[in-house]
Amino acid sequence: MKTRRSVWLAMFLLVAVLLVFGSTRTGSPQTQQDRIDSLTSVLACPTCSGESVFVSRAVAAESIRAEVARQVSAGLRTDEQILSYIEQRFGGEVLLVPRATGVDALVWALPVAALVFSIFLLYSAFTKWRGNKPESPTSDDEQIVARALKTNTDEQ
Amino acid sequence: MFASAGISGTVGRAFLLVGFIGAVFGAFAAFTGARRNDPQIIRLIPRFSTLSFAAAVGAFAAMEYAMITRDFSLAYVQKVGSWSTPALYNFAAVWSALEGSILMWVLVLAGYTAAVSFWVRKRMQDLIASWALGVMFVVSAFFFLVSFFPANPFAAGAPGVLDGPGPNPLLQNHILVMFHPPILYLGYVGVTVPFAFAIAALITGRVGEGWLVATRRWSLFAWGFLTFGIALGSWWSYEVLGWSGVWAWDPVENASLLPWITGTAYIHSVLVQERRGMLRVWNISLLVATFSLTILGTFLTRSGVLNSVHAFSESSIGSWFLALFAVILVVSIGLIGWRGDKLRSPGVIDSPLSREAAFLANNVLFAVFAFVVLLGTVFPLIIEALQNRQIAVGAPFFDKLSMPIGLALLTLMAIAPVLPWRKASTETLRQRLFWPAWCGVAALVASLLLGAYGLAPLLTFTLGGISAGAAMRQVVLATRRQGWRGLVGRANGGMIVHLGVILIAVALGASNSFSKSQELSLVANVEASFSGHTFELKDVVEVRDDRSISVKALVLVDGKKIYAPAITKYTRIGMNVGTPSVRTSLTTDIYLTLEPPVRQDANEARIKVFIKPMIIWLWIGTALMAVGTVLAAFPGRRRKPTDATSAPIEVAAP
Repeated sequence: MKTRRSVWLAMFLLVAVLLVFGSTRTGSPQTQQDRIDSLTSVLACPTCSGESVFVSRAVAAESIRAEVARQVSAGLRTDEQILSYIEQRFGGEVLLVPRATGVDALVWALPVAALVFSIFLLYSAFTKWRGNKPESPTSDDEQIVARALKTNTDEQ
Repeated sequence: MFASAGISGTVGRAFLLVGFIGAVFGAFAAFTGARRNDPQIIRLIPRFSTLSFAAAVGAFAAMEYAMITRDFSLAYVQKVGSWSTPALYNFAAVWSALEGSILMWVLVLAGYTAAVSFWVRKRMQDLIASWALGVMFVVSAFFFLVSFFPANPFAAGAPGVLDGPGPNPLLQNHILVMFHPPILYLGYVGVTVPFAFAIAALITGRVGEGWLVATRRWSLFAWGFLTFGIALGSWWSYEVLGWSGVWAWDPVENASLLPWITGTAYIHSVLVQERRGMLRVWNISLLVATFSLTILGTFLTRSGVLNSVHAFSESSIGSWFLALFAVILVVSIGLIGWRGDKLRSPGVIDSPLSREAAFLANNVLFAVFAFVVLLGTVFPLIIEALQNRQIAVGAPFFDKLSMPIGLALLTLMAIAPVLPWRKASTETLRQRLFWPAWCGVAALVASLLLGAYGLAPLLTFTLGGISAGAAMRQVVLATRRQGWRGLVGRANGGMIVHLGVILIAVALGASNSFSKSQELSLVANVEASFSGHTFELKDVVEVRDDRSISVKALVLVDGKKIYAPAITKYTRIGMNVGTPSVRTSLTTDIYLTLEPPVRQDANEARIKVFIKPMIIWLWIGTALMAVGTVLAAFPGRRRKPTDATSAPIEVAAP
């Protein structure tokens, strides 16, 4: 028993250490291609709604991909600057990720609200269930049992 | 030939009308028979289901005949038919646009109605069966009507057309077009059966556990096909679309995922009801949600309000589906409200540390997941309605939100299978989770040794290890006790499904986090290398047939074998379609695409290389899920070996 508990403790420690180690070490440095891919996957393809420039094989997506590649290999702009440059150059709403401001923020807030709300529902359900479980018999109940026992013995 | 083919339009439409009449009479017979409890009328029901099924088969066959004989008097054949389409893709062209896909829906639904009425033929006196069939007839009648009026595949086309463009190029370059849509429809339409029984249970007031147990296998069947259909779609996306991904969170993909999510929640929470008689309202609501989401999804994606790669041209069927969606919701909520007193559950859940509480947590997570997917899919519509402004909600949003939900679900999969019903002590947990936890540690250590990094993927691998350990524990204990019977039944088969899900989760974690890509400008006979692999362009060739011109780059990978990514121009449609070429192995896929612009005479080509780990395990995981689903559908250990194996109803344990 005791050893089991200490083994568990050791295991938790081991996992924690390994996770910290594994999440702080990094893989190979980001290449230009990685940067192009990650930028194009947050850009909406203008002619095919719902798809990103990275996914789409449409001509419009092709030209935006080429432009992003040019910007990245020029190496003069940051990611943010490249995105706003693309927005200026191609016009309209180009981002595939809704912003976290104004009404658009609802798309981020509502899922969190739904999760909190349903956890609250679960919690209140469990407190309710716990509340009505350990009912001790009332004096009425005891009388009924006593009467039943008495008739039972009378019959015998 | 043209003379005889011209008839197929008339014949097909006549079949649709007959099918509609059969479904209306069937609904009438079922409802009247059930209300008056009149066996004379009830006996007629199977005839009407046979009639409308035969009519649906007839209509579908007429469409196939028109397509095969290239009857260009029909508008639909003009749209998707072509003399140059190969026979196989021409056969599949029937379901490659809106009207034909509705016709396939009609066929599958009429087939399910006929199958259910055959299945209950010996128990027709049981009114629940009649009511359920009545509901199915009503839904069938709706689809026959949609196919007859707004989505008529047999409408006459402009005169004088002698050839057409053929189906969308993406629907004529991979064999999966034969399988993905029909299998997906078997699942998508199949959820009508448990829904119909749920409504019947509400109407008859027999909301106890009997109908649930009776329809368990239908639900599992539909869920299994939906799972398999979605997975085939992902495979198709990977093999054909050329962006190296399996899931794009496209609105139509979401429309198939939504009922899958609520359906998955249902097949878990229904176990709580079977075992403890609880969650009755919730389970019925999940079935209603699952069915109505198939209708809502069809409305969203087929009415032109949302666009996607899957979306067909705009049509007027939107209002029809919206109306059906409204009717389903009003009727179901009304019935649930009316039967509220009978639905109240008798039991309580004693402890948050119990199997039933874990199922509850599972349901909360799946409900939130469904909410996220639905919200993201319709959010552009909401913003457009509120502010008349276009926004896009795409993959980055869904990826970001589904990752924590996925990790939470993996955590549950690690713990829930070892939890007993009613109440567990922490001591039991400690004991039962001991070996599974070590599996998790082993998975973590192994992935670190292989060079993995980052918190999310490492958590995925660790939790995957624990979950796999927990699932194996159940299977090992069961087979040790019962031999091969330990592999069948819902608990054991379910664990095999879990193992498949874990493989998929781990493969997704690995391929999403550790893929590498590089664009290479290859010159003929000069070796380039990337990520430890070499690529050498041998030749650029052109292949022509009467529907397309394709340019293929022949690339020698690692000096061993030639792969040929291509770009194909479909001349009739004027659309370029890239075709990737993939070297698959158990550890890593090398995925090659040819990037435009291409010239056939050039001695150079731009190639994009993706190195993606563990992709094949997605498909192995899917296969395991399919096997597990079949095993779960077989009766478990509660059946005596002397019982007839075809006995359809299991007796529920108290």
